[in-house]
Amino acid sequence: MNKEDILIKAAKEYFYSGNDEFNKGRYNSAVVLYFKALVSFSDLYVLQKTGNTPSSHNDRFKITEENFPEVYNLLDKDFPFYQSSYVQIMNKELAEVIKDDAKIMAEKTNNKL
Amino acid sequence: MMQKLWLKKPTINYSKDVLDILQFGSSMEEGKTPNDLDIAVIFNKIPLKEQLDQAQKIKKQLEKFVELPVHINSFDLYSLFDASNFAKESILFSGKSIIYGDDFAKRLGFSPKIQIYYSLENLKKKDKVRFNYMLSGKGGEYGLLREHKGELLKPGLIEINPESENVFVNSIKEFKVDFRVKKVLLA
Repeated sequence: MNKEDILIKAAKEYFYSGNDEFNKGRYNSAVVLYFKALVSFSDLYVLQKTGNTPSSHNDRFKITEENFPEVYNLLDKDFPFYQSSYVQIMNKELAEVIKDDAKIMAEKTNNKL
Repeated sequence: MMQKLWLKKPTINYSKDVLDILQFGSSMEEGKTPNDLDIAVIFNKIPLKEQLDQAQKIKKQLEKFVELPVHINSFDLYSLFDASNFAKESILFSGKSIIYGDDFAKRLGFSPKIQIYYSLENLKKKDKVRFNYMLSGKGGEYGLLREHKGELLKPGLIEINPESENVFVNSIKEFKVDFRVKKVLLA
């Protein structure tokens, strides 16, 4: 498996696991999983455009902010919810927002969900 | 250094859906070195997606005015007071409006204050004098109360602004006296 295949597999697994949790009403778990799907698709996008993948959250934010502001905007907007998912109750509406953002990145990387 | 963004009242663009934009958290506290700047955007009841998109635009504008990373939070009045919002006390008590340049609590009809009760009973006379100099100043020098716009309500009780709590608590601790801190919203 190459890097691209790994990222696609991880992204889809997180996304569909997010759907499972979402359908059970476990929105904290769904938020975390959808965000992870968003990150994997974002890394895939960076890989497709540059040939490299980010090595950390800081690296990811730096690369996307400088080169792909529309991707940075999604990550920057949703990251605080991922961070606070340990201590806050997430709701259905928020899970749907992050799910939609993961879908946007899936489309940008030519992946169907 | 305190990042007094709320005092600058920066000119930013926001929609009529925004009720207020507040600075809160550690960046509001004098005597602390914050790692980031917490901002809460309070919206009318609009879809969450719209809240987050608008908040991102506000964040980008605010980032031009400060050196610290801006950490933005979106709320409507329901989510602001929801039990799961652990930041609500800090927002309500120490939040300052970047739009209006004043306490958020005042818009709700309250004035947030810290009351510190202390006892000098166990201090030697010279330390009692030093304590009072610390609060009220000496020989024309400002004491903490004047410097931070606090007030001596009666012997053993001072009332100060929320952002000065650390300054007073740390100074009082040096005297090893008994004290307790009470947060109050005055109507």
